[in-house]
Amino acid sequence: MCTSCCGCCSALRPRYKRLVDNIFPVNPQDGLVKNNMEKLTFYSLSSPEKLDRIGEYLFQRASRDIYRRRNGFVVIAMEAMDQLLVACHAQTLNLFVESFLKMVQKLLESTDPQLQILATQSFVRFANIEEDTPSYHRRYDFFVSKFSSMCHSNHNEPELRDKIRVAGIKGLQGVVRKTVCDDLVENIWEAVHMDKIVPSLLYNMQNSRYHVKEADTPEPPQEEHADPPTLAETCMRELVGRASFGHIRCVLRPVLRHLDLHELWVPNQFALHTFRIIMFSIQAQYSYTVIETLMSHLDDNSKSNPKIRTSIADVLSKIISIAAGESVGPSVLEIINSLLSHLRLSVTREDPSDEPQAQRAEKLYQEALINALGEFANHLPDYQKIEIMMFIMSKVPYPALDHLRGFNGPGDVLLQNILLKSLLKVGTKYQTIHFNTTFPMSFLEPLLRMSLAADPDMRLLVQKILHTLIDRHHNLEKLLKPTVNIGDLELVLEKSSRPDIIFIRKHGPEIYRSLYESLEQANNTVENIEAVYTTLALLCVELSSEETVMEMLRLVVSIQDTALTNGSLSAAQKYNLHAVVVSLLVLIPNVVPITPLMEYAEKVIEARRNAGANHLLPELLVHYDPDVCLSPSQLGPDVLVDQVAVTESLKGAGFDVSRLQQVTPYGAGGPPGVNVGHRHSWVETGMRTSVADLNSFQVEVDSVSSSPGVQKKHPEEELTFESMKKLLSEPPESAKEAEEERRLQLSETFRTADFHDLVDRTHANNDILQNKLNEIFSKLSTGLSDGIRPPATPTPGTKQDNDPLHSNNPPTYEVLFPELFVY
Amino acid sequence: MEDYKFLFKVVLVGNAGVGKTCLVRRFTQGLFPPGQGATIGVDFMIKTVEIDNEKIKLQIWDTAGQERFRSITQSYYRSAHALILVYDISCQPTFDCLPDWLREIEEYASSKVLRVLVGNKIDREDREIPAHVGEDFAQRHSMYYLETSAKEAENVERLFMEIAAELMEQARSKELPRYDSNSPTINGRTTVIGDGGCCSRMS
Ligand SMILES: Nc1nc2c(ncn2[C@@H]2O[C@H](COP(=O)(O)OP(=O)(O)O)[C@@H](O)[C@H]2O)c(=O)[nH]1
Ligand SMILES: [Mg+2]
Repeated sequence: MCTSCCGCCSALRPRYKRLVDNIFPVNPQDGLVKNNMEKLTFYSLSSPEKLDRIGEYLFQRASRDIYRRRNGFVVIAMEAMDQLLVACHAQTLNLFVESFLKMVQKLLESTDPQLQILATQSFVRFANIEEDTPSYHRRYDFFVSKFSSMCHSNHNEPELRDKIRVAGIKGLQGVVRKTVCDDLVENIWEAVHMDKIVPSLLYNMQNSRYHVKEADTPEPPQEEHADPPTLAETCMRELVGRASFGHIRCVLRPVLRHLDLHELWVPNQFALHTFRIIMFSIQAQYSYTVIETLMSHLDDNSKSNPKIRTSIADVLSKIISIAAGESVGPSVLEIINSLLSHLRLSVTREDPSDEPQAQRAEKLYQEALINALGEFANHLPDYQKIEIMMFIMSKVPYPALDHLRGFNGPGDVLLQNILLKSLLKVGTKYQTIHFNTTFPMSFLEPLLRMSLAADPDMRLLVQKILHTLIDRHHNLEKLLKPTVNIGDLELVLEKSSRPDIIFIRKHGPEIYRSLYESLEQANNTVENIEAVYTTLALLCVELSSEETVMEMLRLVVSIQDTALTNGSLSAAQKYNLHAVVVSLLVLIPNVVPITPLMEYAEKVIEARRNAGANHLLPELLVHYDPDVCLSPSQLGPDVLVDQVAVTESLKGAGFDVSRLQQVTPYGAGGPPGVNVGHRHSWVETGMRTSVADLNSFQVEVDSVSSSPGVQKKHPEEELTFESMKKLLSEPPESAKEAEEERRLQLSETFRTADFHDLVDRTHANNDILQNKLNEIFSKLSTGLSDGIRPPATPTPGTKQDNDPLHSNNPPTYEVLFPELFVY
Repeated sequence: MEDYKFLFKVVLVGNAGVGKTCLVRRFTQGLFPPGQGATIGVDFMIKTVEIDNEKIKLQIWDTAGQERFRSITQSYYRSAHALILVYDISCQPTFDCLPDWLREIEEYASSKVLRVLVGNKIDREDREIPAHVGEDFAQRHSMYYLETSAKEAENVERLFMEIAAELMEQARSKELPRYDSNSPTINGRTTVIGDGGCCSRMS
């Protein structure tokens, strides 16, 4: 034994060997002989050329000691090597490192856990040293393999098992640190390594306390002794954080594989936790890649159990917002489009003959996707939300008008439904400021068209979309149901802004007409009627002005007309409409104070109450007792809203009612119901109104508004009203101004937003993306059942001729989103 | 000591419970472990053997049979020099799974990997797979075949020794023209040619 034969023979040995021998004590438990170690260190520093031989010799001694199971000496040898490694200068380390690593490997190969742990510590120490010239031929295969294996230790003593696992994780962390910075060293991102490292980390993270549902698990006393899950998570963050663009997928692929194989999608807490970690550690500009990868995983799982898909989509919805801030330009649309494609796929997959349970599961999946859509939109700037809404709208297969119903397959209805739900979701995340920004023509028009869909659920959805977009002052909850007790509602009112008034003057007639027609639908449920009421009430509240009062009252009278004369509505539906009429009649003068009108409204309510006509008052019921409920004609004229009385009330309040009288098709004062022909002509006029007719409408509205008849009754409003009047008399300029303002706003957003760095990239990708989108879109429109498309030869008189989205014009998105393609 | 001429990586695969871990323990530690838990992920053992006075170091990677660890275990196939596919001769399902395992090997391992089929637990009375069935299967898929008992230490030593010998022969014939080419691992001991050379074949 060397330690005992340091007498005569040692003199013949080379000096470095003697120095090495001397650091070992006689009894291993005495530990490294400190002053001799200092001598060895000093010698190594002064004769660096001997360093590699010292290393080799130490290694040989340790190998022999391992073989003889004299672990105490092995530990000392390792310690000596550690010290030399730290003490010696970087440029001389190269060869020594080879021996050092051989030593580490030797210890790792031993079956003794203590030696393995010791070796890992040494390796980590080495990993933290910066080498001047890393050895490019050095391979880390063994270390990755062995450390990964240690991460899965199954030692029967739990404490020791955790120690081995911790060592494994730290070892992997060391390898990553050592290799990640330098491309010439081992490429740690290769699948052969990542497929070991990533599952090893995840396997340990899986056991974290975050995911086990133990309600009252106390927090660990301290973080110093990090447990395997915590440490694995730290390592994971570091790994993801160091991944450059080309490497993200190398990490994500094994992550997804692991989650699949370990069946960690349902329930998805761990999957979610993992992806949160990834999203928070990834270099922000790449976060989009994660979304993309997760989406394509959804593709890969298109045949999987809907529960799995739902879980994946749910994870997507919960991390997508993190990426939203980083997504710009085409990538936004790509994400949206991908989500819509998944929705579409899910809809086409739905089979009515499926088990109800399977259908429910598929529905949950769709909801998860819609949530993802909403979450994504939620974190985008408002101008992009509008674009997304328009985009979704452009994907909605058009319901044909009622007489085209036959061309709508059930799949279309489902798709419409799903898309409108998505639209609603995005809409709820959007906060309207100006109506003209929220409702560009290309959005408003199809939306209104959809509001007349044959399917009552669809119409309801459209109304809900309108609600969320119109309601700026959180009055929605208060106006969900018709009521005549407006005072109780405590509505929040604000004077309309200039652009709003321009908006409603321009589009009011068309909106009102759609709402009016919507109330005429024979298959309306109470909910449908209530929803239209809510839309009208919100419009009234949001756009309150003397100007809107006229138009609104005209509509109220028309609705009553329908309630009296329409042959296709049920008695209950007609009673519902009467209740809506009186609720609006009382709401209007509450919003725009017109005392005589308010008094008149109260009178009508009173009359209905006195006549026992509760069925003509809210709330709206599905069934009315036919024995008790008399029709209005049986109840006498007092229970009805009388056009003449309304006109008189307005006159009394100082309004110029010429408009109401002129334009209204209802003969002044004539008994309701007589003017059926007129009514129809009014409706038809409205029907013909479309984009092309807007100008004429404009002219009509202008001429009315500029007529100088309106007088002020309320002096406190004078200023506002005066200025308003002025504005109203100059509509074309103001409209232009508003448009200009919007443009400026938009370009401002583009200028100030911080994505200059991305401009180049976007630019480069632009053409490819456009082509890709084109491709997807054409698939969207042709892939679906042929029934989705309107007939090739349009029936005369349908709206199809005006439909800009189904013509042979440039792809929809180019028209809709020129802003997105500016660079 | 640390001097060895050849380093070979051997990976064991097969259904959980067929006795992979027992085979490795028997070979590396000379014991039949009582009731150890199922392997998770991958286990590692090392053994240096001597053939024709040449030291050969065997790195043995013992994989978990369960499906859920498949992603990590597969990543070990690629660098394997030899793959030992184990089934339990007293358990038909473990034999029926062999085609699946072969598909995996086909996909993830090197095409040149030495493949050995092992029917383990021959000490058991309740054999379900006759030896010739296993042998047929091996022949059809051009694998070597051996029946073992980790419990009774039957053929275990032989299994690994013959693998080592075969790999050494392969290495010699392949490496002959090249001296100390690329070193595959950190230990830097390449499979250099040796003098003297005899090759024992698998039975
Ligand atoms: N009778 C018998 N039992 C064995 C033999 N080899 C392993 N076993 C038993 O089979 C079970 C599984 O062994 P194990 O090595 O853990 O299988 P692995 O999952 O393939 O690693 C254990 O209960 C062992 O005791 C054998 O050769 N004969
Ligand atoms: Mg095992």
